[in-house]
Order: sequence, then structure tokens, then C-alpha cells
Amino acid sequence: MAAVPRGGWTRARRALLALAALALLYGIASELGRYWLPHRIWLAPHYVEDAELLPPYRSLGEEMAFLLESGILLSSAAVSAGRVLAGVVLGSAVGIVLGVATGRRPRLEYLADPWVTFFRFTPALALLPLYVLWFGYGESSKVLLIATNVAVVVLLGAQHAVRSVPHVYLEAAASLGAGRGLVLRRIVLPMSFPEVFASIRIAVGLAWVTIVVAELIDPRMPSLGYLLTLSGAYPRVASMLIAIGTIGALVLAFDMVALFLHARTTRWMGRAA
Amino acid sequence: MTATGSQGPRLEAVDVGYTYPGRKATQALDGLSLEVRDNEFLAVLGPVGCGKTTLLRMFAGFLRPAKGSVRCDGADVDGPGPQRGYVLQENAIFPWMTVRENVEFGLLAKGLDPGARRSVSGELLDLIGLSSFEAAHPKELSAGMSKMVEVVRVLATDPSILLLDEPFGALDAQTRARMQDALARLWEQRRKTVLFVTHDAEEAIHLADRIVVLSPRPGRVMADLEVDLPRPRSLETRFSPGFSALKRRIWEVLGLGAAAR
Repeated sequence: MAAVPRGGWTRARRALLALAALALLYGIASELGRYWLPHRIWLAPHYVEDAELLPPYRSLGEEMAFLLESGILLSSAAVSAGRVLAGVVLGSAVGIVLGVATGRRPRLEYLADPWVTFFRFTPALALLPLYVLWFGYGESSKVLLIATNVAVVVLLGAQHAVRSVPHVYLEAAASLGAGRGLVLRRIVLPMSFPEVFASIRIAVGLAWVTIVVAELIDPRMPSLGYLLTLSGAYPRVASMLIAIGTIGALVLAFDMVALFLHARTTRWMGRAA
Repeated sequence: MTATGSQGPRLEAVDVGYTYPGRKATQALDGLSLEVRDNEFLAVLGPVGCGKTTLLRMFAGFLRPAKGSVRCDGADVDGPGPQRGYVLQENAIFPWMTVRENVEFGLLAKGLDPGARRSVSGELLDLIGLSSFEAAHPKELSAGMSKMVEVVRVLATDPSILLLDEPFGALDAQTRARMQDALARLWEQRRKTVLFVTHDAEEAIHLADRIVVLSPRPGRVMADLEVDLPRPRSLETRFSPGFSALKRRIWEVLGLGAAAR
């Protein structure tokens, strides 16, 4: 670990300080903005009156109270989180299986490589209209869009992880008489686990990016993506900020769970992620 | 114990040559022949880069000779196998397993039940004085301890042949001496056919029955010396006239004697 500067604070305390500073600056900016920012803005095809481009805390508080009391925010968060989770689980499972298989078997990789490359450079979000046509307007097209995004990232991570298992471990295991199955279970998977997990962490962030777009398919409440779209249409900047903040908080929560699991399962490494 | 008994050699290299491919091809071995008899401790001694490891990897089954043949009990070596226990030069202890799981890995591969595995690992860890570390992960061990765990991990499946590639090369002098004593004791208790590769003349003399000295790259046999020192070997052995004479002889063969060059 790098030396902490003199009088250094923990990461959590620094984060809190930064957040407090941001909140203070926002408060000042929003109060000033009431006088200096335009209230009448052009949102094609007409003008919007009384637009609060930087809603002050009072407006944010009222909006938050409304979104909480009506149950919109919590149900939206739950629905969107559920979709992300389903997509991440499905995409990771497919990614790990394909990544490990291609990483372990050079011949399979030889065959699969062009396909992987094709998908790797296809912007998964661009698949949206295609998925709507193929899988309909329901849950499946949303979850599958996330899963596709996740699977590509995890596949590449798992493939690299499996290929970088040091040959000394593989040779030691082979001389001790281990067959393919045992080597996979007890050598390859545990050794590549940290890197696979790191790729899943990246994929989770990507999944939350995808969900906002995926929820434009057949937009319906409750969903955080639609909450964002809707608040853009009115426009209600306060709702937008709350939806963005909620997504940010959920990404952080997912990441912290991932980090916790990572630390629990890699204690043998004797270092943090 | 073996099919061939004391008649044929357990391990045999016949006119072995190997060249590592690449832009600047490296000839590691050329026309090397040697044999290891049943229950013999043979040390292969040579300078760094003389192809010792290449030779051992051939016996372990991870490399095929480009020329000549490498045989075990009269048959060409074809891939790795648990009857030839192989301790790599690098650290190959599995860091995600506990010490006990490491030692039991070969038994797991054999399909032994947990009780049977446990009794073998318990006995071996006891032998090297690491019983209290059985539940520890390798990161908690010193370099010498973890190398010793690797040695007994190989012993757990009771192979009749041991291939050791400079197992103590990365240790400090004192630890190395202690590990050599531990290995000598292990070998005196459970006789095995051992092919031990090293660049350390004293280590070779202290451990082996016979020493084959290799030339710098490409490795060829320069001398084949019997080590006629009594067992069990001790501190006394290291300072005996016979030990010194042999060491001098080896240094002369390697071209380091006063008379040479």
C-alpha cells in the first residue's frame, strides 16, 4: 500500500468530505441560479415556463418527498436493480463458460475468435432495435441487452484470466496426476477467479449504463430509466437529479457488495483488490 | 519393487539433443547420455544455462527431445505421470490452498477419501515439522518451508522416482543447508530413485551417490563421479577430507582449478 500523506484520511472520510463540498457548492450555485439562469427555455417545439435548471434544495426536497411517498422511487429502483441483476447473472454465466472454454482449449479459441472479435467491436447498445424485434417489448429484450453487454466483457476477462494461469501450477498439477477436470476445478478456476471477478465488476458498471437505454424499450413505470426520460420530457430537473443520484448510489452499492465478496474469496492472496 | 529391478537403469537419456527454437536458436543440449540406477541419488551439476532444467523437463514429460531419447524403465517418456514426482525450480506451491490441501493434492487426484488423505498428509507434515501450519496458506510460510511443502507434496503419492530441479536454489545459505539435511533424512528413510539438478557443488556432494558434471551450453557430460562418503551425512561430512577432495575435483573439471587457464 502506498504511504498515506501526513494526517491522511481514510477513503470513506475523503469521499464524505468531497460530497459535502459538492453539496455546499451546489447549494450556492442553485441559489444564485434562481436569479441568473433563464426561467423560460426553448424545448422544441415550444417554450417551457418556470424551468428550474438548477433546482434549489427546497425543490429537491419536495420532489424527493413526492417520489418517496408515492412509492415511485423505491419501486423504480427495485425494478431496475432487478433487471440489472438478472442481466449480470445471465451474462456472467455465459461469459464465464465461454471464456473458460476458449481459454482452456486453443482449438476452440481458434474457431471462436472471429465471433468474439465481432461482438467485442459491436456496440451492444446498437443491438437495441434488433432485440426489440427479436425478443419483443417485454422484460426479455431488456435483460438480454444487459446480458449481452456483460457477457462480452466477462468472456474476455475469463479468457485472459484462464490463459494467464502460470504454467508452473499446471505442470505441478499434471505431474501429481491430476486430470483435466481436477485441474479446471482446483487450479484454473481458483487462480483465475480474481481476474474474472474484476471483469464482472466492470461489467456491472456497464450494465447500469445499459439499463437506462434498455428501459426506453416499451417505457413504463416503475423504472429508473423511464423516470429519467419522463423527467426530461416535462422537464423536471429535480426528478432527473434524483434519478441520476439513485442510479449512482445503486452502482456504488453493487460495487461494494462485489468488493466484499471479492475480499472474502481471495483471502489467500493476502492483499486487497 | 520395480519391473526392471537392479538390472536396467530406472532413468536413461541416450544421445539427447535439444535446441530451443527462435530467431536466435539456442542449443541447450547436445549428445548427452546418462543413466540413473534404481534407488540411486544422482546429482546433475552444471553452470547456469547448461540445459539441466531442459533435461529434467524431458524426464518429467513436459518436453520431447529433438534428438535421441529419454526413457523411464526402458520405455520412452510420454507425458507427465505421478510415478515420477517432479519438483519445479519455480515456486509451484498452490497459494489458494492450505498447506494440507497442497500436500494432499496428488492423493485427491488419485481419488483417495479424506480420511486416507489426512493420514498421509499428517505424517508427512510431521516429518518436516510443519504440522502446526497445516491450515495455513502458503503466504504465511517462509521460502524454505514452502519449498519443503512442495517436496512432500510430491512424496505424498509415493512415487518411486523423484525429479528435483534446484529446489533450494533461491534460498539463503543457512536455510539451504537445513533443507538439504531435511531432504537427506527423507531420502535415507524412504529410498527413491532421485535425479537432482543443481549448480551448487557442495549441495551435490552432500546429497548424492553420484555426480554427473555438465559442460556449459550445449550441455554434455564432462565427468561422472562417485560420491564415496558415508551415510547418514552430517555436518562432519561437510568438513571431511573426502568432501573437500571431491569439491576440488569438480572445480577442476569445471575449469576453475589453479592449473586451468
